[in-house]
Amino acid sequence: MAIQVVERDLERLHQLWEDGLSEAYRSYLEAVDGFEPSAQPRLALAAALVEVGVRLQGLGGRAAAPPSLLMGDLCLARASRLLADAAPQSIQVAFARAIEEMSSAAAAEQTAPHTRELLLRAFEAR
Amino acid sequence: MIGKRLRFETSHSTEFVDITDRLRDEVHRSGLKIGRVHLQSLHTTVGLAINENEPLLIRDFESLLERLAPVGASYQHDDFARRIDVALDEPVNGHAHCRQILLTGFATLLVEDGELVLGRWQSVFAVELDGPRHRELALQLDGEFGTSSLSPSGEQSVVPSSMRLAHRARERGEERRTEAGLAPELVELELSRQLLVDPEPVSAPMRRLVEAGGKRLRPKLVQLTAGIGPRSEPLRAAALAAAVELLHNATLIHDDYVDESTHRRGRPTVAAAEGPERAVAVGDYYFAKATRLIAEIGNRSVTSTIAEALEAVCASQIDDVALRGAYPGDRDSYLRVVRGKTAALFAAACASGALLSEAGPEIVDALRRYGDLLGVAFQMADDMVDFSPSSGKPVGLDIRQRVLSLPLIYAAEDRTVGPEVRRLLAGSLGDAEVGRVAELVTISGALTRVRGEAEALVDAAVHELETIELDGLRPTLISLARSAVDRIA
Repeated sequence: MAIQVVERDLERLHQLWEDGLSEAYRSYLEAVDGFEPSAQPRLALAAALVEVGVRLQGLGGRAAAPPSLLMGDLCLARASRLLADAAPQSIQVAFARAIEEMSSAAAAEQTAPHTRELLLRAFEAR
Repeated sequence: MIGKRLRFETSHSTEFVDITDRLRDEVHRSGLKIGRVHLQSLHTTVGLAINENEPLLIRDFESLLERLAPVGASYQHDDFARRIDVALDEPVNGHAHCRQILLTGFATLLVEDGELVLGRWQSVFAVELDGPRHRELALQLDGEFGTSSLSPSGEQSVVPSSMRLAHRARERGEERRTEAGLAPELVELELSRQLLVDPEPVSAPMRRLVEAGGKRLRPKLVQLTAGIGPRSEPLRAAALAAAVELLHNATLIHDDYVDESTHRRGRPTVAAAEGPERAVAVGDYYFAKATRLIAEIGNRSVTSTIAEALEAVCASQIDDVALRGAYPGDRDSYLRVVRGKTAALFAAACASGALLSEAGPEIVDALRRYGDLLGVAFQMADDMVDFSPSSGKPVGLDIRQRVLSLPLIYAAEDRTVGPEVRRLLAGSLGDAEVGRVAELVTISGALTRVRGEAEALVDAAVHELETIELDGLRPTLISLARSAVDRIA
């Protein structure tokens, strides 16, 4: 059931789903357990997209080549739309702050906290 | 008479900082109708110049200054052993002082009908000669003033006065609101405020991009449409408008890396100046920050509208790059990409402003369509600028970077010149090839055809406004749409 709902939000991302996005998605399902059942898949997918997106972009490391960067951008944008549709405001804000933390650390050439840790913490903001 | 200071930061030892838009904003904000703007450098190593903002020409100016007063030549000013009372931090900058006397330290610009009087290709530059530093210019505006957003003392009290103005206008029952009555300074203040609190590694590159100007069309659309419905709140509208501008700039930072662009708005791109890693991080930071600012406004429809547009922008950017394999592509592919890459955020800006003001669904939908059509027309106009020798951009930059361009598509499809255009585009593109392609595009009549299409789209955009109640905003929205293609007239 959860996977079926997510399928509609995977346009253009099917290859990524095969290449690790699905695994990341499953790892967040537990964290979204306390949310409305209908929102859970989209929230877990949003977190997985952020995790995979920043990795594709090379954020905090060597910048990715343009095609990979653009796919990473799409992942972040899709995550943002999923959160806008399914998450309470506090979660939207917490996710944005997590990305701000990762990217400002990358810009300052400092080590950022682990992406998954930050995103799991963001789910606690509701 | 109003006295002010214009402050800015430079990032290079020699830098031509285009301050034209900031001066225009000062004139609009002051309400000066006819008179003069006096401008004076407060530094001995900052000059002023009025000339064309064309990146290669600016390099020529820099080369000229280097030839006339080279760095490292023997300047007596730099012989600290012979000088008296030399400060500990005195820089070695004899060359910068000498260059400054080749320029001017002051300028007077005329104002007529509330606008700076400048020739089509004239821009006003503050010329940094010993940067990077914080700099300041003195500014005086004198003449006949109309309604302004400044207090009578000339001191800025932007938020209260703009709100008072809006309130007074409503009290007077003024139906027609103008772009000048938008309080654009609220957006600029909000942008400055947001950048002020951000970490320097991300804020400095974004500040340079924001301060370099830009048309601010998207924030203008947000502010205008946010005045349509029953809940008109200038501060919330400015917050949304500033966030939309930050979002737009964040996408530009990544685009510039993807397109390998070296300059934007006359300044080096973040990727060119600070490397792709910084560009990725700065783009991500402001993408996230902008979405947070929008979420914090607390209107779910607005958040979703902008998020959907951002998704369309990113998806179309992928399509755009993919299409470069079949460059220059065809009209249908072009329209599909442009509707996502450019028009989606125009449409979202219009719709989100209206949603924020709680306008009715039929108004929101009409404005969304208006923004979509305007965005496509705007992109077509932008394509044409690439073929204008005096546009401020090097001619043929889009061709060189293989950027999707409708005039190029039409020229490639032309029976007469098409075969040669396609042959040239299939090979490597040096200066000669780019010049020849640009020439063939002009010969083919493609520019006239694209201009006609852009104008038709603007007509269609204006038509969308005919059936809805816009609380006096229709003339301003029409004028804004016309101005999108006027730059190619």
